[in-house]
Amino acid sequence: MKTRPRFGLYALVILSVVISFLPIIWLVLTSLKTTEGIYAWPPQYLPDPFTLKNYINIITNSPELLLYVLNSFIVALGCTVVALSFGGMAGYALSRLGMRRAGVLMVFILAVSMFPPVSLLPSLFQNFLSLGLLNTYTGLIIAHTGLFLPFTVWMLASYFATLPSEIEEAARMDGMGFFRIFWSIVIPLSWPGFVATGLIVFIFSWNEFPLALVLMTQNAMRTAPVGISLYPGEYAFPWETISTATVIAIVPILIITAIFQKQIVGGLTAGAGK
Amino acid sequence: MTEVKLDRIGKKYGAVEAVQQFDLTIREGEFLVLLGPSGCGKSTTLRMIAGLESITSGDLLIGGDRMNDVDPKDRGVAMVFQNYALYPHKTVFDNMAMALKLQKVPTAEINDRVGRTAEMLGLTDYLQRKPAALSGGQRQRVAIGRAIVRTPKVFLFDEPLSNLDAKLRVKMRMELQELHARLNATSVYVTHDQVEAMTLADRIVIMNGGVVAQVGTPREVYDHPADEFVAGFIGSPAMNFLDLTRDDTGGWRSDCGSLSLPALPVDTGTRQRVRLGVRPEHIEVSGAAAQGPLTFPAQVLLDELLGADALLSLGIGEARLLARVGGTGHPVKGDSVAIRLTPSQLHVFDCETGAAFR
Repeated sequence: MKTRPRFGLYALVILSVVISFLPIIWLVLTSLKTTEGIYAWPPQYLPDPFTLKNYINIITNSPELLLYVLNSFIVALGCTVVALSFGGMAGYALSRLGMRRAGVLMVFILAVSMFPPVSLLPSLFQNFLSLGLLNTYTGLIIAHTGLFLPFTVWMLASYFATLPSEIEEAARMDGMGFFRIFWSIVIPLSWPGFVATGLIVFIFSWNEFPLALVLMTQNAMRTAPVGISLYPGEYAFPWETISTATVIAIVPILIITAIFQKQIVGGLTAGAGK
Repeated sequence: MTEVKLDRIGKKYGAVEAVQQFDLTIREGEFLVLLGPSGCGKSTTLRMIAGLESITSGDLLIGGDRMNDVDPKDRGVAMVFQNYALYPHKTVFDNMAMALKLQKVPTAEINDRVGRTAEMLGLTDYLQRKPAALSGGQRQRVAIGRAIVRTPKVFLFDEPLSNLDAKLRVKMRMELQELHARLNATSVYVTHDQVEAMTLADRIVIMNGGVVAQVGTPREVYDHPADEFVAGFIGSPAMNFLDLTRDDTGGWRSDCGSLSLPALPVDTGTRQRVRLGVRPEHIEVSGAAAQGPLTFPAQVLLDELLGADALLSLGIGEARLLARVGGTGHPVKGDSVAIRLTPSQLHVFDCETGAAFR
């Protein structure tokens, strides 16, 4: 009796995993095919012949791809660090310091993030132009932070709300000030929350397109998504180049996720209370 | 001079008065227990002394100094929390040393003080462990150690034993008694457990709905409860209550008519109705043939053996009384018995106000 609904659940999970992973698998397979293999009919499922030529070509012929990836990395890392710093402090104040009207403020913060980024573009461009922030890492980091900070505040505030308040009270009795409590009690105990939020912000920033396209106009400053999107030529669509570049652009994110996923361990507060 | 004086202290949350006009002086070295059901304001009172909760009205004096607006760390108080509230990412040593480190006490002195406290509490072997690797009792000992290390003027305990299992609770209760005898520091202890209150307290404050119902030694609150609430709260099983009406002859009769008393041991003025209270352990149960004043025939409706004691549910006509008797050779369900009441062990309360007649 009990196994039937579970079987259905597993089938559903497997189906959704296959559907969401198929494009990525196809992308990886495509990057390993020859040009003939890509256009072959009926379609090749497995690369035949299997080749790494696309990777060698892209690294030797268009080294700017590695630059794009580096740019993306710098911007995403900067955005993550800044967003976690400000989002952490704001989230702590809003969820734990008994601020008046904290709920209203939280809704305001959420409302701000509801503007579509495209609607901000003209004024952002103007301002960044006059401030000399176009084509700088600082500029795009500021823009991305503005975009993802509301999310960070919400995520971290709700994580802080799950911490037992007695630990902070004990710290107050021990003589810690609010900043000290935040730094040496709340941050260590909220590490899983910071890692999870940071990972998501990093991926958001890595993939963000419209702002990166408009604010980084010089080729040497482009981020990976923008750079790759500019590969298609006027007459041809170089599938092998695009799929290979995309795979290369995904790799850093995969590595970072793999590293930090191990860090997202629950039960870090175990032993504090009962 | 570490007397704690609460001068008509009150706490309001919006329109809700959590604590009203709390007026009490806690003597130096006294172990004071705040006792009451949940939501009676006992924890709020403790948190106001600690400085974790602001004081809406009245003054808090510790050692003669007004503390209402003083930071918790500067009040000279240390608190032990119900959930221990240890820093889970720090070792036992660091947990205990934190307050001293923040006070910039020299390292050698910190090591010495933490070392001595750990030895006193049997924690020496665990100093380098994290709280997660300790048992519940050990964690609570660390929490107590963290308070002791600071040598505070006043110890505050917020239901420190309620997370422990029954056996450990008894053990820790005794340890706390020994500790208090040793340190002799002024202590305020919050609990809803009357056994803890009776065994630990020099004086008990019983609170009900944000108001102090009675302050007294364990003996006083047990022997002379100030009102019906205290009488019913202290003692286990709870006191029996019976409503009595004055009859034509000036004597008193229970509503069902099966119990009659020629007189009450206290002056009830012109009242025509009162509520009689008698503790289960003060009902003397003997053979059915017994005769004498304040002796009534009764039926055993139910008997429950607790071990050393047994509880008898007795029917006297329509009236029901619970009696506590010795656990060997006691009457059983269905037996006919006689019960005798002793005038000095009867409590009489005002039906309207609940206050005791003295």
